[in-house]
Amino acid sequence: MNNFTVDILTPNKVVAKDIPAENVVIPTLKGQIEVMKDHTHVVEKLETGLVTVLGGADDADRNFFVTVGICKVLQNKITILSNTAEESHEVDLERAELALKNAEERLSSTLSDDELVKYRRKAERAKLRIQLLKTAR
Amino acid sequence: MANIKDLKKKIKSTKNTLKITSAMKLVSAAKLNRAQQAIQSARPYAAELEDTIKTISALVQDYSHSYLEEKESDHEVLLVLSSNKGLCGGYNSQLAKVVKKFAAEKGENLKVFYIGKKVRELTQKDVNMGEEYQFEKSDPSFDEMQKIARELAGLFRTGEVGKVHVAYNVFHSAIAVEPTVKQVLPMSLDSSVKDELQKSFPFDFKYEPSPEAILDDLIPEAYISTMWTAQLDSLASEHGSRMTAMDNAVGNCKEAIRSLTLKMNKLRQAAITTELIEVVSGAESLNG
Repeated sequence: MNNFTVDILTPNKVVAKDIPAENVVIPTLKGQIEVMKDHTHVVEKLETGLVTVLGGADDADRNFFVTVGICKVLQNKITILSNTAEESHEVDLERAELALKNAEERLSSTLSDDELVKYRRKAERAKLRIQLLKTAR
Repeated sequence: MANIKDLKKKIKSTKNTLKITSAMKLVSAAKLNRAQQAIQSARPYAAELEDTIKTISALVQDYSHSYLEEKESDHEVLLVLSSNKGLCGGYNSQLAKVVKKFAAEKGENLKVFYIGKKVRELTQKDVNMGEEYQFEKSDPSFDEMQKIARELAGLFRTGEVGKVHVAYNVFHSAIAVEPTVKQVLPMSLDSSVKDELQKSFPFDFKYEPSPEAILDDLIPEAYISTMWTAQLDSLASEHGSRMTAMDNAVGNCKEAIRSLTLKMNKLRQAAITTELIEVVSGAESLNG
């Protein structure tokens, strides 16, 4: 039995609670980090990306999409606090594809700097969601 | 004395009221269910966020954020979260009482902002009115609430106001809601908790990029999360209160129908008896 667990919380939803893990990959500002049992205590800022929870032999692997937030590793417990988080089966492929199309259309027109950043982020989020669905399959 | 026809009318109208109240009860129960789920989903995040901030700020020396500092201004803001609709028992009136009391203590320096018009109607004579927020739907969404929270925080940051409070009903259960006024800005980190935490954490975290940068992100987030959970609390309380109020109303309607029916049956029986006596005594007189 794993005594190393992951919580993923958002302001609107408890996305995952106490899911067992052997190995967790988390996207942070400085790049991806991989956390295993007895990892040192860490608090890091998250980057928009994919969290992969590998369950090991006993438990299923699970994939999540997260946006900005923090992750805390403390006494064999990972807590991810993110503005939005979705598990692979919650992602709406049609919506993500539509969002990507819209964002790319916008990006091909002339934009102010703020808008450029906004639509780039939108496109990135949509791409990640689509990628998440593909990896989960 | 009422006649049978009048009583029949009365019973019919009470039955209609019963239909309405029981329908409202069902609707509220469904809405309460949803609202309760929302608040229960939001609380772990808020709690974890607060916990993390407390821990980090206890471990970090000399950290300061504009949301934590006391401001010099005497002016204060109170945001009142109430409902747009009535028929929910003491939900609004109890909150209005608390708001009035709070406003009386603070006097002229307090400005009151409103979400939901019921408490505004009840308190407008007694307080210094600020803005009233309205939304596309009757309740604010997360984004709308975030906007309001930022607006109020803006007033606080510039030093225009010294304190920001929210007044809302805390949801304990469908029958227990508690009107409260809570100070949200400046945020207070209890110093006794801080000392204790410093002792109980023999190790420090590794931070990336830095503890200050993380706190800079988390503190506004925690502020918004406080406001959002207050709104969710208030919403769940509204539906809970309405459900309880409607449940009482249903009980009262049933009781009224029962006693009216009894009265009507008695009258009808009396009329039958009188008629019988008349027939029998008429027949008797013919025989005699």
